[in-house]
Amino acid sequence: MKTPGLSRRQRALANCAPINEERIRDRSMRAAVFRARSSSEFENQQSFDRALATLVRAIPIPPETAEWFSDKDLIAPSKWTWKKAGRNPVVLAIGIALVVIAGVFVFQFVGRLNDFPGSGTARKLLSIAGSTRSVVLDPVNADAGALSDLFFLKHGLEHYDAPAEFADFRTIGCRVFEDDESQRIAQIWVVEKRMQFFLFPAERNVKTGAVLNFQGWRYVHQEGWIGAVTERSGVCFMVALRGREKDLAPYLAKAKQ
Amino acid sequence: MLGDSVKAQEVFHTTLREAALRAAHGELPNEPFWLFRDARWRCLEATKTDLQAEPFEMEEQEITAAAGSQIERLEPRQLAIWISAAPEPQRTALALFYLDEFDYREIADLAELKPSELSRLLALGRRQFQAWLDATLPKRPTT
Repeated sequence: MKTPGLSRRQRALANCAPINEERIRDRSMRAAVFRARSSSEFENQQSFDRALATLVRAIPIPPETAEWFSDKDLIAPSKWTWKKAGRNPVVLAIGIALVVIAGVFVFQFVGRLNDFPGSGTARKLLSIAGSTRSVVLDPVNADAGALSDLFFLKHGLEHYDAPAEFADFRTIGCRVFEDDESQRIAQIWVVEKRMQFFLFPAERNVKTGAVLNFQGWRYVHQEGWIGAVTERSGVCFMVALRGREKDLAPYLAKAKQ
Repeated sequence: MLGDSVKAQEVFHTTLREAALRAAHGELPNEPFWLFRDARWRCLEATKTDLQAEPFEMEEQEITAAAGSQIERLEPRQLAIWISAAPEPQRTALALFYLDEFDYREIADLAELKPSELSRLLALGRRQFQAWLDATLPKRPTT
């Protein structure tokens, strides 16, 4: 067939075009037939094929052979199976896409399960903890609990108190800085396992301004650091160290007692 | 495939008898077209010992609009003989195609051909058949 406008593949397909168009089962063949239909060569081919197929149907079948077929189909239609559908590239691509989307949703859902008011700020502070060098802090050799007065008197920060269970830890240094949301953060570095404490304002309801309270200690993870956060009097306290939950757990157990 | 109804009937019955035996032993293949594949091989076996035509270049003609009316004047037996005389695998391709029961991929699979080869053989077969038609049944003059 020399029909112009058809690609080589479409010409090859048009040569195999079924005599009965209802028998077309794939899209590429349908497209080739659709494009070839306008040419006289294809019209001639189709009428030629139809005439030959009619002649083939006229070939007499001996009665003893014909009775084998009676009313049954010569070829049973192939059954639909999950296995067969799974091999279809379109179904496969859709399946993979759905799995990826579901995975992202599950990941986000699991991530949200551990969220608490202020968890976003806590994660950002863990990143800061990882990059902080001791030289940026003002050297202070005191108990962590004693710094509350310093924060109040020098910086006007009320309730920036280390909880009683961490109040006796000796400090190396401290500083007060503003984060990217202009919140004032107190950072304390202690001798014990080179832990860092952070004190920052608790998250508030955007409409009412009320503090969003939560009970007990909540864990956050970020870049190999672990933090445990608690909230008291509208201020969050976070104890952070490089490691895992089990490294912090003994200190929090003491806190509960 | 055979151009001989007696031989065709023999092959048909042998194929079905063999299939019935395999079914009785629970050995039916899973592959959907095994019966046709089996029948094809039996046809090829049956014609292996027949006199074979000397290979020669058949004439070719482009299909014309008048082909339909030429074909109408043919006897079914003439077509059967023409197809059965075609060389393999063109014979299988033409026989299965004009049975109008299979799609092109199934025919290619049964005839052990690539789709492009099937396409070439069908196109060649049509042109050769048209040349034979023109030689056997000259076109009627149009009024």
